[in-house]
Amino acid sequence: MSAAPGLSHFLILAAALFVIGVAGIFVNRRNILVILMSVELMLLAVNMNFVAFSRFLNDIHGQVFVFFILTVAAAESAIGLAILVVAFRGRRSINIEDWKNLRG
Amino acid sequence: MGGAGFQVGYAGAEMFVFLAACAVLLGDLFLPAERRGAVLHWGAIGACVLTAGIAWTGFGGGGFDGEPAIALNGFFVSSPFTALMKTAVMLSVGGSLLFSRRYLEGAGMLCGEYYALALTSSLGMLVMVSAAHLLPLYIGLELMSLSLYALIALDRDNLRASESAIKYFVLGALASGLFLYGASIIYGATGELGIAEIAARIISGGGEARAALGLGLVFMLAGVAFKIGAAPFHMWLPDVYQGAPAPVTLFIAAAPKIAAMVMMLRVLVEALGVLESDWRPMLIILAVASLAVGNITAIVQTNIKRMLAYSAIAHSGFIVLGVLAGDDAGVAAAVFYVIAYALMTVGGFGAVALLAGEGKERAELSDIKGLAANNGVAAAVLMVLMFSMAGIPPVVGFAAKLSVLQAVLAAGLPWLAVVAVLLSVVGAFYYLRVVKLMYFDLPEKGAVALPVLPRGAQASLAAVGALVLLLGIFPGKLLAACETAARLL
Amino acid sequence: MVEYGEEKKLRGTVPSFALIVFYAFSAVLLCAALGVILVRNTVHAALLLVLAFVASAGVWMLLFAEFLAIVLVLVYVGAVMVLFLFVLMMLDANLESLRSGRGRFLSAAVALLVAAQIAAALNRDSFLQLPRFEAPAEAAGDNTRLLGSVVYTEYAYPFELAAVLLLVAMVAAVALSLRRRKDVKYTDPAVQMRASPAGRVRLVDMPSEKPPQTATVETNKTTEKRKGEKQ
Repeated sequence: MSAAPGLSHFLILAAALFVIGVAGIFVNRRNILVILMSVELMLLAVNMNFVAFSRFLNDIHGQVFVFFILTVAAAESAIGLAILVVAFRGRRSINIEDWKNLRG
Repeated sequence: MGGAGFQVGYAGAEMFVFLAACAVLLGDLFLPAERRGAVLHWGAIGACVLTAGIAWTGFGGGGFDGEPAIALNGFFVSSPFTALMKTAVMLSVGGSLLFSRRYLEGAGMLCGEYYALALTSSLGMLVMVSAAHLLPLYIGLELMSLSLYALIALDRDNLRASESAIKYFVLGALASGLFLYGASIIYGATGELGIAEIAARIISGGGEARAALGLGLVFMLAGVAFKIGAAPFHMWLPDVYQGAPAPVTLFIAAAPKIAAMVMMLRVLVEALGVLESDWRPMLIILAVASLAVGNITAIVQTNIKRMLAYSAIAHSGFIVLGVLAGDDAGVAAAVFYVIAYALMTVGGFGAVALLAGEGKERAELSDIKGLAANNGVAAAVLMVLMFSMAGIPPVVGFAAKLSVLQAVLAAGLPWLAVVAVLLSVVGAFYYLRVVKLMYFDLPEKGAVALPVLPRGAQASLAAVGALVLLLGIFPGKLLAACETAARLL
Repeated sequence: MVEYGEEKKLRGTVPSFALIVFYAFSAVLLCAALGVILVRNTVHAALLLVLAFVASAGVWMLLFAEFLAIVLVLVYVGAVMVLFLFVLMMLDANLESLRSGRGRFLSAAVALLVAAQIAAALNRDSFLQLPRFEAPAEAAGDNTRLLGSVVYTEYAYPFELAAVLLLVAMVAAVALSLRRRKDVKYTDPAVQMRASPAGRVRLVDMPSEKPPQTATVETNKTTEKRKGEKQ
């Protein structure tokens, strides 16, 4: 028998992915579409955690949770993109720096 | 469906509000245009009041024995606590809708989707309140939030609104991401997803996986703090409150706060109650930061909505203070505070939404100079609300602050109570400034006076003001209900 | 990084096929994810995100989550990412000019902070060596059947809630992005519902001139007008 990937492998992969996702939100403060994609990356990392724990705990419920997170995330990106379309129509730009109506 | 432990009857309020949302969507299509607005408006408000009534039957009596009951295969809990919180949520939603019609008609936003999304959002809050498992807690949170994002952006020609919708969306998505990451770690550390099961597992597991539990706690707390708007996770709040159309601000500010507080209680006190020594210092930081940021930054604001947003941050600091006491008294104080806060917010932002009038927002502080001269009732109610928010007796805000401070003292943190009182005194300044502007200042030269409110609007505002006074003088009944609720989460 | 006792013992032996596959997919996944947040062209970022999803579907296969892996590719890549690309193309924004300048330092700091926290917590106690993690079952049987057997029974309540959520997404997306164009004609269901035969068809009594022609059916004004416009 040789070494198979263990729980720590998957957790570290997910943690790295999550950190990339969080960083993406702050790096791309000007491009909203990429921010939405970073959110997807974060959720992917969360799902990776759940699937890994589900496997190593021998418990199907973690996978069911992922099932629902995928559903919610799909609905979330649909609404996010719809809001983006509305905002874009008014302004013809997805660059947040052009949006200066609100401080902070 | 069916089967042992399903017991759909407990979810009566949820089902009713969902049916109401569907009815609104269909009614919007088939009602004649000239009656559509009025029917939808009063229908939605009626549905909210009815749902509140249905929820209230869960508070002892009405076929329920008053003990917490688990239903729907362990995903749903019904108890006096959920009954009280659901009633508060639905009445806040009803009140928020009541004050929004004038503005919506003026802005051309009075459509079925507005009311349907408001109702689905409140469905999300009800689901959160009754969640006995992390999954319905998460789905309820998203149901509430997604409807709110859409509500803000619904005024499609309003650039500010869509901008603040984007801001709210991005930060809300970040918050749910953080919350979920924490949830996944907790799942790994305990092997459970049900709230009571997690608590039981942590106790039976002794000290195992303590660091992992702490990590999960930090992420979940960050997510919850975002939702409740506690500093340092408050960045979205002033911009969103200012940018959103006034009735939507009113909606976001009142009921979702109640749901967010319930979420905080479920996660911290119920699921991770054993880790109290871990989360209490974090909550102290959140509370002090919120009180400081809220009260001090509000002083320099010139926009009423923005000022009230910072005031909301300060109030969430007080709610956190109640939660961090951790015991029954603290929970009861937090529950009382959040109900009082929702009532004051419905009145405060309601007056702003009414005065903002027909689609053109008049929300600068200079706009309300001399308000008492032409809008006597609105000015008087606003004065009562400002006194209440500042915590001046004998209004409800004072009773709420008092009960929170008592809980903090009982928890053995006298210095924290002193800090809270001092920062509230600082905060009293900007509330009283509003009263001064309304009563002792003259309107600016050349300024167009705010419109005189119609009779109906005046009456409903006056009702809120009277309720604030009444609950302040006789808080006993509500306090007793909150204490019962806190004992029976 | 925590090492398993077993792994230490086997160090130096040939890594298993699963481990090689894991590292291959992880490398692709992390590179693609970094690409998503760093490339300047948003279309490239979207395509890299697709790659990241496919790679993580591979990783999930290693975890015996076959159904979710397939759903990730079919639903996520097939629908959600296509939606992203649609919006991207529709907005037709000046994409090349969007460069991230400020905020790099801050984001690096935030990322490091989060990473350090996670690493410290995973390392600190014996979390990963909990006895229950040590013996994952071999392939858990029919993964899809297992999921299906709980989703529609035990999870009926969350399932219904998810359905409501999708309804909300639909209503919101339509309400936000449907523009009533002035140059296109729409039907108003409320008007349609209130239509009655009396308002549509008017039977006109005319004195008959010739036997076969007894009555003329007149259509109402709107349909005539519509006809006129079509021609």
